[in-house]
Amino acid sequence: MLRRFEAYAIDPDADGDAVAALERACRDCGRYIPEVLDSCVGWNLSNASVHLVWEHAYESAEAYRRYMVHPYHAEELDRFLLADSPERVVLDDRLGAGLLGYACDRPAYRMAGGVRRLVLLGLAAASGAGGVAALHEELARAADQAPEMTVSVVAANTLAQAWFDGETAAGPPPRWTHLWEQGFASLDDLAAYRARAAGPGEPEVSGARWRAVVASSTTLHYELSARAQAVHDV
Amino acid sequence: MVHLVDTVDVAAEDADRYLEAVRSLGVPVMTDAGAGFVSCASTAPDPGGHVRIQVVWSFSDHGHWNLIRRNLVLDERWYRYGARLAALRTGGTRRFYRPAAFSPS
Repeated sequence: MLRRFEAYAIDPDADGDAVAALERACRDCGRYIPEVLDSCVGWNLSNASVHLVWEHAYESAEAYRRYMVHPYHAEELDRFLLADSPERVVLDDRLGAGLLGYACDRPAYRMAGGVRRLVLLGLAAASGAGGVAALHEELARAADQAPEMTVSVVAANTLAQAWFDGETAAGPPPRWTHLWEQGFASLDDLAAYRARAAGPGEPEVSGARWRAVVASSTTLHYELSARAQAVHDV
Repeated sequence: MVHLVDTVDVAAEDADRYLEAVRSLGVPVMTDAGAGFVSCASTAPDPGGHVRIQVVWSFSDHGHWNLIRRNLVLDERWYRYGARLAALRTGGTRRFYRPAAFSPS
């Protein structure tokens, strides 16, 4: 499977109806392109400089490529996004979070609702395979030690470069080398987790322990909004 | 063949600058990416002092458009072109048209 996120910084001068149309086009995408699975949107509640997040998935790279050439993609999504479109409602991606994603064997990210938190990680080039593996292992186990966390998936942000066909790198390496995708039942649960695990210097990987591995990080979190029956079986 | 039709409103005093941006920035960027340049036309100023400009690009199908789009995303000039257009227009639409069977083009 391919897990994919797009995060948009909305132009403050954009027409509200057009922004709502973009939100709807993303959330309802699976209704028009059946290859698009688990399509949800949310409005970022962190201080990171993006507003609308669209999360979704594909069963395979082949399914992703069918999405890429689907008319709905060009005509209903891209007209709000592309740099030269008269209907553009977004700003240029300054955060490096325009497109994020990873390959996975199963939809461990899946939630029926609640709150998604994404920790975007830029791992140090010199961190070494051992350091990266140790970080992976600890973060993947985080849900075992945090009762509020219902989902914890850590993966390399491979789709940022393989955005065109789901497999082949195109363009420069991404700012965020890895993603840590978390799930919580509610904002209260997230707040409880952050108060205990993250603290004022969040994210929780920013402390001295991981300083040699994690060069930079930021977080997004949002309440999931899905179209009814948008969650598919895979 | 599919036509991508951008229709924008610009203030009359900005119309020449918008057309020049299409000519000098848009045409090379879009055609280098693989799109066909079909037409660019403008109306006379309306009573409110606005001009409507329509620019039409062509490609064979949405698979072809996907390749064009990839080339645009990887071309720094495209972002400058987009910023230039955004600074000059006051509104507009983007639509994709397929010709009717009896249409000559």
